[in-house]
Amino acid sequence: MLKIFRRLWQVNWAEQWQYRANLIMYLLYWLVSPIIYLAVWTSIAQSKGSVNGLTANDFVTYYMTLLIVDQITSNIVIHTFAYKVQDGSLSGELVRPIHPMLTNALVNNIAFKGLTIIGFIPVWIVLFFLYQPDFSNVTFTGILLAIPAMILGFFVGFLLSAAISALAFWTTRVYSIHEFYFALILLFSGQFVPLTLMPKLIQDVAQYLPFQLLIYYPIQLILGKLSSTQIVQGYVSGLIWLVIAIVLFNWMWRHGVKRYSAVGA
Amino acid sequence: MNTLKLLSAFLKVNVQMSLAYRADTVVNILLNIMWLGWELLSLGIIFSNTETIGGWGFGELIALLGVFRLVHTLMIALIWPNTEKFNQSIRDGSMDYTLLQPVNSMFLVTFSRITVWRVWDLILASILIVVGVNLAGDTTTPLSILTFILLTVSGAVVIYSLWIVLIALTFWFTKFDNNVTILQALLDAGRYPVTVYPVWLRILVTFIIPIAVATTVPLQGLRGELGLSRVLMFIAIGGASFLVASQVWKRGLKQYSGASS
Repeated sequence: MLKIFRRLWQVNWAEQWQYRANLIMYLLYWLVSPIIYLAVWTSIAQSKGSVNGLTANDFVTYYMTLLIVDQITSNIVIHTFAYKVQDGSLSGELVRPIHPMLTNALVNNIAFKGLTIIGFIPVWIVLFFLYQPDFSNVTFTGILLAIPAMILGFFVGFLLSAAISALAFWTTRVYSIHEFYFALILLFSGQFVPLTLMPKLIQDVAQYLPFQLLIYYPIQLILGKLSSTQIVQGYVSGLIWLVIAIVLFNWMWRHGVKRYSAVGA
Repeated sequence: MNTLKLLSAFLKVNVQMSLAYRADTVVNILLNIMWLGWELLSLGIIFSNTETIGGWGFGELIALLGVFRLVHTLMIALIWPNTEKFNQSIRDGSMDYTLLQPVNSMFLVTFSRITVWRVWDLILASILIVVGVNLAGDTTTPLSILTFILLTVSGAVVIYSLWIVLIALTFWFTKFDNNVTILQALLDAGRYPVTVYPVWLRILVTFIIPIAVATTVPLQGLRGELGLSRVLMFIAIGGASFLVASQVWKRGLKQYSGASS
């Protein structure tokens, strides 16, 4: 199995490396929103002194940490998988004795991540010197606690995206459905603002949804803003959502593959 | 007029194409309403914490959202589909046929695909602008409205010209099929007044990828913040950038050698 993964890694890394110009563009695309939100909220915090108890520095550290966390927990399954169902190129992968999603697509995502991180580090350092954030709240234990949380967040997000991508077996409008899913992430993950600034209703609902595992929960862990009960709660809900995501994905996959008709093959 | 006839022919073809996917159109409009809801909610969240942002009030940001949506529509209904077709035609050589036609090739390349249902977006954007301006309670005069319209048009021309230059670069660098991603990426910066951005970002979106010229500037015109000389300057920039773009396009065409022949 390890040999298979190593081979898949070589193939996917080489493939992503071919598209390194695209990667830079993707990186730019992905950087712009957090930087805009950062600018908007720091400008408000500066003019008011603080927003709901958050200072300008709190916003800078929040969004700078968000850039790292989002880089680790996000995935691109929808962009790489759905069209394989639509143009039939999934056939070649289905005849292999390994699971296309849990091996090839997964490794492909990680290779993509590896390459974007290489491009992202210098950008982050430049931003660090531009904004000179005060990260004195960050503790070693916080980071140590956040690493498994981010890995957990990545797998929950990956499996949920994979389940949605598997809708491609049923409908060609899978991209529209994914757009709706993306809006949910925006609303409940803390991507736009720290969740404490969201309306009360959204905060309450967010507690029961998996999306804050992708952004808000790891950020708060790193910044040392959570009490020990909150930390435990986050991990428990993360594990529950991992189980839900595994079951959901398996169900979708088993039923979806049966409907697959291999267009063009 | 020839151009108008062609344009209406393009429209007809595109209406037919989108009628083949009626259900998709409905889904797209629903998603569009969803995003509008999100945009209004995010402005609501911002303004529940502050009264002004960069000196602009809630109504002004609604109006800015309207102007932003105009540029966004230009991007998504015209620039994006035509770029896709253009890149394809450079790769497979079907650009040859476009060049053989006895019409201005720049016009042909930039207007042959139009996502027709997005017209709805233009109406929505206009409503947002009117509502926003009324909410802001700014005193609008016929002159300031005229300024606003002129600046919006010249801003759109600037974006259009930049697009021409970006896709014309493909004549030199055939593999450059990421040509408009940079425009798309920075577009979101148009949602907020550039006055809130740090200097480096402001310079980037004003001078290098001038999204702000098409979003913040027209509204500044409407609010009467720009003197006559500034207004004339922005209109002149619009005209000049169009001239430069068509020159770049002509030079680029000479580089084209045809992938198929």
